[in-house]
Amino acid sequence: MEGKKFIKGKNVQEVIALKSKYGQKAKIIVGGTDVMVRVNSLMESPECFLYIGEAGLKYIEKKNGDIVIGAATTLSGILKSDLIEAELPVMKTVVSQIASTAIRNTASIGGNLCNASPAADTAVPLMAFDAKVVLVSERGDRTVAMDEFFVGPGKTILEDDEILKEIVIPVKENVVVAYKKLGRRKAESLSVVSVCIAVVKENGICKEAKIALGAVAPRPVLASKAAMFLQGKALDDALIEQASEQIEPEISPIDDQRGTRYIRIRSSKTIVKNLLKEIGK
Amino acid sequence: MQELNLKVNGKEYTVKVKADMNLLEVLRDKLQITSPKVGCNTGDCGACSVIMDGQLIKSCVTHAMIADGKEVTTLEGIFSPGKLHPIQEAFHEVAAAQCGFCTPGMIMTVKALLDSNPNPSEEEIREGIAGNLCRCTGYTAVVKAVKLAAANMNGGE
Repeated sequence: MEGKKFIKGKNVQEVIALKSKYGQKAKIIVGGTDVMVRVNSLMESPECFLYIGEAGLKYIEKKNGDIVIGAATTLSGILKSDLIEAELPVMKTVVSQIASTAIRNTASIGGNLCNASPAADTAVPLMAFDAKVVLVSERGDRTVAMDEFFVGPGKTILEDDEILKEIVIPVKENVVVAYKKLGRRKAESLSVVSVCIAVVKENGICKEAKIALGAVAPRPVLASKAAMFLQGKALDDALIEQASEQIEPEISPIDDQRGTRYIRIRSSKTIVKNLLKEIGK
Repeated sequence: MQELNLKVNGKEYTVKVKADMNLLEVLRDKLQITSPKVGCNTGDCGACSVIMDGQLIKSCVTHAMIADGKEVTTLEGIFSPGKLHPIQEAFHEVAAAQCGFCTPGMIMTVKALLDSNPNPSEEEIREGIAGNLCRCTGYTAVVKAVKLAAANMNGGE
């Protein structure tokens, strides 16, 4: 055994070579704001910390009409991006409500996703936007839908030799988006419920809808049936009322220190209703 | 054990660190720089806040080796004996510290805030210090101190 170590990856090629060598013994780290919480409390002690904060994975750019965000991009980086401000302003709304300035300065969007908390705040809008994630390894690249990335609490589809490289967000026409996070404290708050709804609206008719919810299931989820129900219809109050009633069977919240199952179900319905009303206006 | 080279408050250090060490442990236990406090050790309370390469961070959830080759500033680095920093003076003036445990982290947070926004509104101040818990003051005096510090710093220098 060579002993535990911290390795700074210089570029993606080197990082995936190291990941291939160490497999699950290497823990990818950028800010460390989730990993170190577990390390500090002796819940986790990786053989190798594989640091990718200086490996050329911090970027936000437009490519073929999509917005592409490098996995190591910090949450502060997203808040400061003119491109995000212009084309995905709701992402700023979401990120500004995560943690606090000090955490956002080092915590990365890729870390938020790979940590795979059921309450991962960035996952919720990304699922509503139909985003994709690009996973790379020495075996090659694969692109999968954000929705398929999560398996359960702390678990993703990432293989032991694979890393998340970037997130690809399609920019659609005529999309109206609304977001709400319910937390217990203004800052550093883990979501009790978070909801993001994206509706493609033409002449008042909902052409396509995505309703994503966080902290109400073992992983961030899409309420697909409620979203399908809205399709092709005018977003009036009666429809919105019916749609929000369909949320309950699509979620499976638990009781924990942040909220009860009961409050999560009620809040989910109410938030979905309020957000749809906002979109319907 | 790995070698960590960093600059803290203008001084270069080389220390041997264990693979599981966070930056706060290095500052306090290896370098005896004790203004950053161990509060929650989970990144929630802000008592360990320091500035690294110009950015506010929580040192308890920052792996020590991330600081390799970087410059860290703690409260000790922004004043000299007999000459307080204007933020410290303002905290003193309006009695914005009671038990004092959160104060070093709070002042570093305020410094980072005023460095990027020299004239913050009350809302921006409250947002800026939202990651720092204070169980004594109720924040009212802290907000007042930040306003006073901003006014003094804008007018003074």
